[in-house]
Amino acid sequence: MAEVTSDNILLEVKELKKHFPITGGLMRKVVGYVKAVDGVSFYIKEGETLGLVGESGCGKTTCGRTVLRLLEPTAGEVVFDDPDLGKVHIENLDQRQMKVVRPKMQIIFQDPFSSLDPRMTLERIVSEPLVINNMLHGQALRNRVAELLELVGMRAEYMTRYPHAFSGGQRQRIGIARALALNPKLIICDEPVSALDVSIQAQVLNLLEDLQAKFGLTYLFIAHDLSVVEHISDRVAVMYVGFLVEMAETNELYYYPKHPYTEALMAAIPKPNPRMRTQPIKLPGEVASPANPPSGCYFHPRCRYAQAVCSQTRPILRDVGNEHWVACHLAEELHLAGLEEQQVL
Amino acid sequence: MEDKDVVLRVEDLHTYFHTTRGTVRALNGVSYTVPKGKVLGVVGESGCGKSVTSLAVMQLVPRPGRIEQGKIWFSTARRGSAGWVEITALERHSDEMHQIRGNEISMIFQEPMTSLNPVYTVGDQIAEAILLHQGVDKGEARQRVIDILTEVNMPNPERIVDNYPHELSGGMRQRAMIAMALSCTPTMLIADEPTTALDVTTEAQILDLMRELQGDIGMSIMFITHNLGVIAQMADEVVIMYLGRIVESAPIDDLFFDTKHPYTVALLGSIPHVGSRTKDRLASIRGMVPDPYSTVPGCPFHPRCDRYMRGICEKEMPGETMVAPKHMVRCYLYS
Repeated sequence: MAEVTSDNILLEVKELKKHFPITGGLMRKVVGYVKAVDGVSFYIKEGETLGLVGESGCGKTTCGRTVLRLLEPTAGEVVFDDPDLGKVHIENLDQRQMKVVRPKMQIIFQDPFSSLDPRMTLERIVSEPLVINNMLHGQALRNRVAELLELVGMRAEYMTRYPHAFSGGQRQRIGIARALALNPKLIICDEPVSALDVSIQAQVLNLLEDLQAKFGLTYLFIAHDLSVVEHISDRVAVMYVGFLVEMAETNELYYYPKHPYTEALMAAIPKPNPRMRTQPIKLPGEVASPANPPSGCYFHPRCRYAQAVCSQTRPILRDVGNEHWVACHLAEELHLAGLEEQQVL
Repeated sequence: MEDKDVVLRVEDLHTYFHTTRGTVRALNGVSYTVPKGKVLGVVGESGCGKSVTSLAVMQLVPRPGRIEQGKIWFSTARRGSAGWVEITALERHSDEMHQIRGNEISMIFQEPMTSLNPVYTVGDQIAEAILLHQGVDKGEARQRVIDILTEVNMPNPERIVDNYPHELSGGMRQRAMIAMALSCTPTMLIADEPTTALDVTTEAQILDLMRELQGDIGMSIMFITHNLGVIAQMADEVVIMYLGRIVESAPIDDLFFDTKHPYTVALLGSIPHVGSRTKDRLASIRGMVPDPYSTVPGCPFHPRCDRYMRGICEKEMPGETMVAPKHMVRCYLYS
């Protein structure tokens, strides 16, 4: 975790929405929408890591991709503080302008097996961003690829090999080298370690931290493993059915959660200590469908604190002090249990 | 075979896969016991042989894999013939093996999506084992399915019986799998990464359920996972595997608080300890698991070990050293 050097906001996302149409019937008429991302707002300061957690299908990945405009947003604003262009509204840019901004925003994908083209050598994979953006040629290009590979702990001689010759951890390093090629400011890490074994996971997490310290990178770290997110993030945002329910500084969120869903997540973490029993909170029912969400607060049918107001009005994400953002009507009244502090083994 | 507190005993098991590229020694002399009515955790990274161990017990090692050497003994309590059965001496398709597999030992797999058949209803799939092993008629089997689904806290069991797997969520499918595994009240349950594909809140509920059922039925569980948090919560005893060998085995408390083997120490150091409030660097293990076709002389962990002793560790596999009653480690640091 790097020291956050400034309060400069690098990325601000306001009321971002991404709805996928559901078509049905003979005429393929639009019969509804899957509201994968439904009004998400957050910000990331320069040099920090914002963890984005939530259960599968909650829209974390869609959110990350919509920020980069790999998916076109349905509504909302994405403001990026470009080092050259100043604050730009990503959602309004045309193709040519996008090409200027894209090098500053990169992504590392979850699956190191499907995110590398099996028919390209490492050299081609890592150099592709540089070639597309017409940055380097010939020997200079090769030198840069060698430098990038060494930066992520791979030997430069491997450049001529193909991805199949490498293990999951090594492939993830290749993906990181590719993301670093254009000296980005922001990297969206979409579950970068969830496909890796624990010992390799630690290597990749350490590498990401080292690179952040070295280049002042800013990360949006999307993951479902709450222990990993706690380790790497400065602040954490919790997502439930396309909506952010809570965002706060990491320790604040883990030890003093203010949203009942966050409380349930914290109680469910299997603690790596046989002397402490995990006491999960039973959440009745299933996760709401983003195609047909419940009225009011999306979490209210499963919430043990729900009151009449919760099924009527949808709470907005608001700052309850100290940059602790919560979307719950009862945030001030509830006293929720967070993680218990425990001895280090 | 006498030990009364043991339900399964594996002795010096070697399982090799003879492929065109060479021989993969998936298990290289593995010995362990599953305590009766308790949970044995099997921990290791991918490729360490933890799944092959469980498949060997079920006589389900896929071709070209073969059990080359070693014995597996199972303590059966059924049909008057109570006593020890040598599983390795039984034919894969013999009647005796059919009686054990699915009836006395059952298994839950990692992927609840792929281990249920999409063209049969959940009820039919659970009833299959009951009809096969319990000798009841269809009406009775259906009633038993509903009872078991109720037992695993499935919402609306009367409706779910007639649902197809695609109509259920991941957590519900895993409950259906558990119901299937429990349908014949097995003596031993093998759970191979049963919660890896599930979300954290669902995982916690499934683990809670397994612990509850284990207490109620008094079943023995062999719980295979790579997640040390889950192991800490579930297991009574643990074996740590690396490259087809058991490098340490101990009661759960000893394993976490009196860790011996450098590999176990490194594994515990490489997971982020939630709730520790420390932001120290994770202790990663350098290098990676060697290619499965190669053989590492001596201790399989020595190329990655921080406490490698030149001239000793690469010579021969260290023997078993008992550092405490029930706490075994294979490392020259302790022998």
